[in-house]
Amino acid sequence: MPLALQTLRAIPARLRQRLRGGGDPNAARIRRRQALANKAWQGLPLIKLVLFAVGYLWLLAIPSAQFGQRTYIDENALQPGQVHTYWSWNDVHRADRVLEDLERLRDHNATSDEYVIANYVVGEFEKIGIPARTQHYAFDTVDGVTEGTNAYAVLQSPRASGTEAIVISASWLSRAGDGDGTLNLRGVATVISLAQYLKKYSLWAKDLVFVISDGYLDGMQAWITTYHGAAQPNLHAEPLTLSSGVIWTAVNVDYPGHSFSHLGIFFEGLNGRLPNQDLLNSVSLITRHTGGLPVLVHDHIDPRDTPNQPEILPSWLPDVIKSNPDVQEYAVRARNIVRHMNYQARGAASGVHGLLHQFRIDAITVFAVPATGPHGFHSLGKILESSLRTMNNLLERLHASFFFFLLVGPGTFMKIGSYLPSVILVGTAMLFSGLGEWVNAGWTLAAPPIGSDEKKEPSQASGATWVQRPRPVLLAVSIMAATHLLGVVLFYVVSSRLVNATVVFMLFSALPALALQLVPLPAPPSAPLATVLKAFNLCFASAVVSITSVLNFSLAAALAVFMGLPLTLASSSPSLPKRIAKYALYSVLALGWLVLCPEETRKAIWNWEVLGVWLAPFICIVYAPLVLQAALVCTLHAQSS
Amino acid sequence: MDGPDVTFSALVAARLLVAYAPLPEALKHDHQLSSPLTSYSRLREGIYLFDHGIDPYSGGSFRHSPLLLSLFSTVLPLTPYTSPILWTAADAVAAWALVRIWRLRTGAKATSRDGQVAAIYLLNPYIFLPSLALSSSSIENALALLSLMFACRGRASASLLTLACLVHLSLPSVLLLLPTLLLIITRPVSRLALPRPFGADLKRTLPLLAEFVGYGVLLTAASTLVCGNWDWAEKTWGASLTLPDLTPNPGLWWYFFTEMFDHFRPFFLMVFSVHLLIYVVPICIKFQHDILYAAFILIGVLALFKPYPTLSDPGLFLSMFSLFPEIYPYLRHPIVTALIHLHASLLLPLFNSLWLRQGTGNANFFYASTLVFGVGNGAALLDAIWAGLRIAIGKVEDGYEVVQE
Repeated sequence: MPLALQTLRAIPARLRQRLRGGGDPNAARIRRRQALANKAWQGLPLIKLVLFAVGYLWLLAIPSAQFGQRTYIDENALQPGQVHTYWSWNDVHRADRVLEDLERLRDHNATSDEYVIANYVVGEFEKIGIPARTQHYAFDTVDGVTEGTNAYAVLQSPRASGTEAIVISASWLSRAGDGDGTLNLRGVATVISLAQYLKKYSLWAKDLVFVISDGYLDGMQAWITTYHGAAQPNLHAEPLTLSSGVIWTAVNVDYPGHSFSHLGIFFEGLNGRLPNQDLLNSVSLITRHTGGLPVLVHDHIDPRDTPNQPEILPSWLPDVIKSNPDVQEYAVRARNIVRHMNYQARGAASGVHGLLHQFRIDAITVFAVPATGPHGFHSLGKILESSLRTMNNLLERLHASFFFFLLVGPGTFMKIGSYLPSVILVGTAMLFSGLGEWVNAGWTLAAPPIGSDEKKEPSQASGATWVQRPRPVLLAVSIMAATHLLGVVLFYVVSSRLVNATVVFMLFSALPALALQLVPLPAPPSAPLATVLKAFNLCFASAVVSITSVLNFSLAAALAVFMGLPLTLASSSPSLPKRIAKYALYSVLALGWLVLCPEETRKAIWNWEVLGVWLAPFICIVYAPLVLQAALVCTLHAQSS
Repeated sequence: MDGPDVTFSALVAARLLVAYAPLPEALKHDHQLSSPLTSYSRLREGIYLFDHGIDPYSGGSFRHSPLLLSLFSTVLPLTPYTSPILWTAADAVAAWALVRIWRLRTGAKATSRDGQVAAIYLLNPYIFLPSLALSSSSIENALALLSLMFACRGRASASLLTLACLVHLSLPSVLLLLPTLLLIITRPVSRLALPRPFGADLKRTLPLLAEFVGYGVLLTAASTLVCGNWDWAEKTWGASLTLPDLTPNPGLWWYFFTEMFDHFRPFFLMVFSVHLLIYVVPICIKFQHDILYAAFILIGVLALFKPYPTLSDPGLFLSMFSLFPEIYPYLRHPIVTALIHLHASLLLPLFNSLWLRQGTGNANFFYASTLVFGVGNGAALLDAIWAGLRIAIGKVEDGYEVVQE
């Protein structure tokens, strides 16, 4: 028994011995720290590789069927689909009458310059007995003046003081074709006839504001900016004479076709802001149960549910793969996500609703996907009536559900925790690469001085020792600051559009390399400039990627793809032609968009001027300079290190 | 004019130019750039009330010192045209004081680093932006540096009067009293590498302390005379002790006290306030050979734990690193500190706008970013303490390590 006890008592001591080793605890600690540092340093290439691989693979895996969960309503006050709707065929008839009038106006080539459409809409609202007004506006842009006339009406809430409001809007141009001229006549007719119908009920606890905005995005931008009294220097708009309360939620109606088969939900707002998920979920629940028709994310009809739909998967794939249900599911989800990322990364609004997001209004567009049937005004009216009743129930702003999510299917979404790590891992890999470069810059292997002691540590068999050397920190930081200042200049040049894009490209890609020739490079005992510049470049780029991911995941994912590996792989080369080729390649990556996608550039600048989307300044001032820094790293002739 | 003077004038001129550029009005209301105690719009409001015969301290919004009130309502009127000049001047004075301290520390009349020291102060975004937002923390920074500069020169009265003004403007700065007193009776030359016991006679600080108290009483009497009552004391000094205004700021206090049950409040207010004081004596003892360094560390403590900080406070601490280039090789993790600061300075405005503008985030987002910022400041502070002590051991041979027991 005492022996057993002794053995038991000895266990902690032996454990300690095992874990900490014998002898001086300080020495053991130092040894442990050195061993850890050595492990980390030796393993760094592997760690980087693993982080990059897992990050990029995670990005690719986002659409897979294993991820995602069912959507649900989080805010109890909403009670979607719990009301009986009274929208009837009489109201549909009235909508048809309005539509006939609108079509007549269209056939007579009525233009907004003459206020004809807006005056007609105001007349209709006033006939119903709702106060309505027009608002003329004009935007000055580089391309010229964009002008039009909005019409809006405010139905005072019969039950409350009108401190809160719901907006029901339709734009004159439909979002189908991104405002290329397709008219949203049925959307406008729906809103007008809905106004007449909703006025009959005394249950509204919030003001209902009906807006028929001119143009596609410009009209609503003018109206909502004026409504909130926000100053926009290039906007000249009449003040609004009818006012209402704080707008909490809004729904925008888009019905471009003759009739429709599915209801698509568009939700991406300006600068990547999304509405609260409760709003989307409520409307899609109501659409399915009250309206009795299927819901789509955007206007993507699932080819598995509906015959005669174009395949998503490329036709050259073997049938074995094409018929695999997992692959099909992946393709369907990937299509939704790619579309979503296209909107969000650009900071573009996927419909008129997106403009309201900048004033903290949760808004979506319901899009009647054009088809030959079977649905029309009747279904749409019922859905809108029930949705408005649901929004009317709100006691506070929508806040319970998610603001950061990926909607992979009409009833499936991903939480931020399940997709954010992909980009963060790539960012971390870049950070580690940068830190590795920083250590590389500070230490160098020096040959042993002649006649030195032979009593070196066994690990340094070669006899060379690690020597610390100074790092040209200030010079590297100044070069980075200079490139970002150059980015500011680039932004002004591009947005004023005074100079031809090709000339701008040539000028701004050549300028950094030429300017670098004037910089005195640090002398050999100090670290090569290229290493320090690359270290800082990677660290800064990693911070930009990680932090953008919280604000706008899609943009961060795009940055992770365009900057992650290219910036990490930037390196000099001994031969001059190779260096020039590399520099040219990186210049194209940084500024190629100037020449390769002029239409995209024009749109981005219009978006900045009119809607305040910060993609254009971000690309010019943050992205392009970061890649140009990598280009400079390639041109700098690496000294012997 | 020689080289450094040209650099200095160019920097100040550039700053003035930016100050007159059309800046968004939102800058003045940014939570990170001005706190309720330093906000420009509140200062303007207080002056307006004062000029119209209403006691500005009877409300809850004006918390500036009566000294600023009397200065700006009489001698220096605040208008959109004069304010940028005044604030740029405050920064220029501060930068000049920093350069003077640097010269006194090296004992040279002019050094090649003068321009760099000035640039590190004038171009530091943490100092630059609050100054553009016309936060009165820029004036506090200038006073702090002036007081240290006078102390380095051994001009006791000037130093103590400036410090008394500073304490009037911002009570937590009283932490700097002990190092200032000790700095007056010693010399500011760098002895970090050669520590020795405190040389001067400590009894000499007693008359200086009395002088400081005298200035304090004088300023208090003047303030009471200006206001006609004692309400100002509760509204200005009391705010630092009782935290009545929980407007978010980049510090660590506000969120803690928004979450707190009322009956714990007095206790934790006491803990938070006393916690600031406990650093003073140990740091002054540990760095008794180089009191300027002790003052630097205490400014770092203030930047981290002050009740109503703005970005100027960490900015002052970080800019003061330029006075001690001898510690650079001994910093343990400068790149890590720099990276945390980089992330924090991007996260702070982002999460602030996600919470208060976009409405997709909430207070916890911003609080998380202030925590990251706090970690960054703490890392810088710890590293400064480490390097300041480590330098005394000097370079060790290969195969040897320095261990702290």
